[in-house]
Amino acid sequence: MWFKIYSNNMVVWLVLLLLGSSLLFSSIDSASLSSSTDTTMHTNNWAVLVCTSRFWFNYRHMANTLSLYRTVKRLGIPDERIILMLADDMACNPRNKYPAQVFNNENHRLNLYGDNVEVDYRGYEVTVENFMRVLTGRHEAAVPRSKRLLSDEGSHILLYMTGHGGDEFLKFQDSEELQSHDLADAVKQMKEKRRFKELLIMVDTCQAATLFNQVGVSVVDRFTFYTLAFFERLNIMTMPH
Amino acid sequence: MAKTETEKETPKMKPRPIVRLGIFLISHSFLVSVVCCTAGVLALLLLPVLAKNTYISENALMPGSASSLLSNHDIAEANRLVNELSSLNLERKDAGIESQKILARYMSDLGAEVSYHKFHPPQNHFHPLHFFSSPHSGIIGENFSCSSYGVNTVGIIRSPRGDGKEAIVLVTPYNFGRSDSSETLSLSIAYSVFSLLSRVTWLAKDIIWLIADSQYGEHESVAAWLRDYHTPSFTGLVSLNADACVEGNNLYISKDNSVVQGKISDGFGRAGTMAAALVLKVTDRNGLWDDTLSIYAEASNGQMPNLDLINIVNYLAVHRQGLHVQIQKFWSDLDLKWLEFLGKTFELLGKVARSLNPNWKFGIPASDYIEGTTTLASSLYYQALGIPTGPHGAFRDFQVDAITLEISPRVSSNNKARRNEFLLRGGRLIEGVIRSVNNLLEKFHQSFFLYLLTSPSKFVSVGVYMIAFALLVAPLPLVAASLYADANELDFGMKNDKYTPMDTASNEINITFRSWKWLSAAKEVFVVHIWGVIVLLLPYFICQMRDWSPTTSFVSWVFLAMLSLLILYLILGSPFSHGYSLEKGEWAMLKSVTISAIFIGLLLMSVVNFATAEIGALLMVPMSLMAQPLKPDIRAASLRSFFRVICNLVLGFVAFPPVTFFMLKGIFEGPDCINLGDFWNWLESLWAWNSATYIYIGMVHLPCWVLCIHILLHSC
Repeated sequence: MWFKIYSNNMVVWLVLLLLGSSLLFSSIDSASLSSSTDTTMHTNNWAVLVCTSRFWFNYRHMANTLSLYRTVKRLGIPDERIILMLADDMACNPRNKYPAQVFNNENHRLNLYGDNVEVDYRGYEVTVENFMRVLTGRHEAAVPRSKRLLSDEGSHILLYMTGHGGDEFLKFQDSEELQSHDLADAVKQMKEKRRFKELLIMVDTCQAATLFNQVGVSVVDRFTFYTLAFFERLNIMTMPH
Repeated sequence: MAKTETEKETPKMKPRPIVRLGIFLISHSFLVSVVCCTAGVLALLLLPVLAKNTYISENALMPGSASSLLSNHDIAEANRLVNELSSLNLERKDAGIESQKILARYMSDLGAEVSYHKFHPPQNHFHPLHFFSSPHSGIIGENFSCSSYGVNTVGIIRSPRGDGKEAIVLVTPYNFGRSDSSETLSLSIAYSVFSLLSRVTWLAKDIIWLIADSQYGEHESVAAWLRDYHTPSFTGLVSLNADACVEGNNLYISKDNSVVQGKISDGFGRAGTMAAALVLKVTDRNGLWDDTLSIYAEASNGQMPNLDLINIVNYLAVHRQGLHVQIQKFWSDLDLKWLEFLGKTFELLGKVARSLNPNWKFGIPASDYIEGTTTLASSLYYQALGIPTGPHGAFRDFQVDAITLEISPRVSSNNKARRNEFLLRGGRLIEGVIRSVNNLLEKFHQSFFLYLLTSPSKFVSVGVYMIAFALLVAPLPLVAASLYADANELDFGMKNDKYTPMDTASNEINITFRSWKWLSAAKEVFVVHIWGVIVLLLPYFICQMRDWSPTTSFVSWVFLAMLSLLILYLILGSPFSHGYSLEKGEWAMLKSVTISAIFIGLLLMSVVNFATAEIGALLMVPMSLMAQPLKPDIRAASLRSFFRVICNLVLGFVAFPPVTFFMLKGIFEGPDCINLGDFWNWLESLWAWNSATYIYIGMVHLPCWVLCIHILLHSC
């Protein structure tokens, strides 16, 4: 549904990314692929939500990620199966006119920050290395379970990333970049290690149309805004299984 | 046999291409210099066409994305303050102190930290070493009288959730006790913004409001406060200057009532590094069709604040508050026909180019061109003078970006609603700028520091205006090299006729002699430069005579200068008379060394203050390139030589600094108000502000002018 709404090139990239990931899967031995999807049962749902930028003027990326977090949590995925990577410097930024609140809309109806936001990787911990470790599952021994993606071969994983991006890269916190081939490598490793049954990758980069607000910064990107608006209309009772 | 012969005959190696290019240019130096000079002047005239639109470089700024919170409630508060200030009886001797107390009380009621800063105005001596000292030093050792001092009032709002490391400064010059209604309007705008900022939740930097005591000059009070701000003393005393006159200080502070004393201190209030500063003035200029904002940006020695600061103010003023923004312009009331003609020509050329190829969009309308040229000329002139155009110049000495904003209401009326609307607009503008600067994480670094403005929203950056200067200056080394080669060859050619080929020994001595001939020319150039330094230092002695009028001082200065030139000529025994004197090539050698000296001087000056170097190049380069002895031309009496004589005389006359000054003044202000003393006053302002332009005039322009005149009058 969200593809129809606007025609910026971000959508094209999203489609291509999905196609690319599906092509990647089909490049692997198709027999094993079909057998794995046929025989394994869907066990659990995971969500990995990553916001790759920090600083006050990137408020909208934080709001994007928090919108998805809220949606995903409200519609059934518990905190222990959500990995949230945020720089988390918006709500308590001295420039925030509404301290401890993060909004996605001018009417300020929805406070995305709330009381029970559980951030797993916060501040300067959001790095390319940690992100790759989360995806591939290669952690050091001391990393706690809440920071690991403990999926198995029956998991459906949502991977949502937002931030500044460009030609074949995504910018991580002003000092690093995640290249598209790195992401492809990680996904391939996940496939080899049988860490998922289905993987949905959503990426919302900046330069999409933005919304201004009393807060004084662009508050959210349009794709995520409409996604959130769509999901707000659903609840766990009416969703089809 | 034949083989060895061919072996002995080494083929002549062709020199490398760049050497060949150099030799080609030097041999055609006349053509090259004409082409380059005209191209340089044309490039300068083309700059308004090449100007780009301004844009916000720093993404963090986001001006205008938040709506303003200033409301009529804040304006009402400000009006209350103004009423109380105006109700003071101004005849009282301590009206100034009373108004300061009122302001302090209002500020501390808002919850701000209030402090007073006492300073002594410096004496206006001419001291040669002041040009080379930093703004921090030099004041402590001076004598001052304890009776004359000024007091600034400083209020600081601490940001409730910020880290207190950075601050934004708002300055309002105010003459305590002797102010008029416009200055009070500026106080009310600043107070309304200040009271709003004490209540908002989005403040990340501290806010400093400096009410500068402008009885000794606006710039001086701000400079004194900045000096004391950046040199904290850790001995527990306030500062050496204030302690020397202790009784005044104590008397001033201890008479406050106890309620106010709690928050007011005589210690110096500081708030960290300054991110940006705004100087706010309200002036009363009649006959405007809309509320107008004038921006002044030049600081000392032609330094400019970061272009982003001007861009924020311009964007907010035009797109949010609907003010009419202007920058200083020259000749705006003059009807310059040649400028209109040039503008129309460029417009026509642009249309032709666009019709040839729709992608070539460089034409601009003639009226835009005229406005761009006048603004560019004014921008160039004020940068070249090296004198700050407002109190914001004091901030640049400490690497803080600052501008002066002068807001003028449409009509100065006593209509209360009209005045409140004006205050609201001005206050919202200031609030918007502060909110935008508040978003910054680092100092201004993204946009340009070296630029010229051709309109409030158009600029020319250094990479473009440097080309005009480079084109003007490029022929200088070429002409110098070609003159040197010519001078050497000429003597060689002359001497060859007279000497037999067998006289090789004396030939060799002559060759050695010839290659050092430039030394005598260099000695003369050096001596004239020393004279230039003496001329620069003469005003130090002339200033000791305090009762002389400017005209007297100027005339005595000229007289002493000529006297010292005569003395130098006699003492150093006329470097013009040597063993092998009065040869044809000698003036060529002198001209070559002079041109090299001009080249080096212009290049050095372009690093310090580009605008001065540009204007200096416009005056000096044509004159020095054309200089030739007048006598042969007068003797020759052909049309070409006559034309050359006229050109040389005109250029030589125009390039003399006092003549240039009076000519420009006569053109723009009418011929009847030329006063010799004006030039002295102008120069006095240059050295009073420690401008490098003064040193340039004395050490590059004047000596080279004298040398060119000497070449013109060379007897050969």
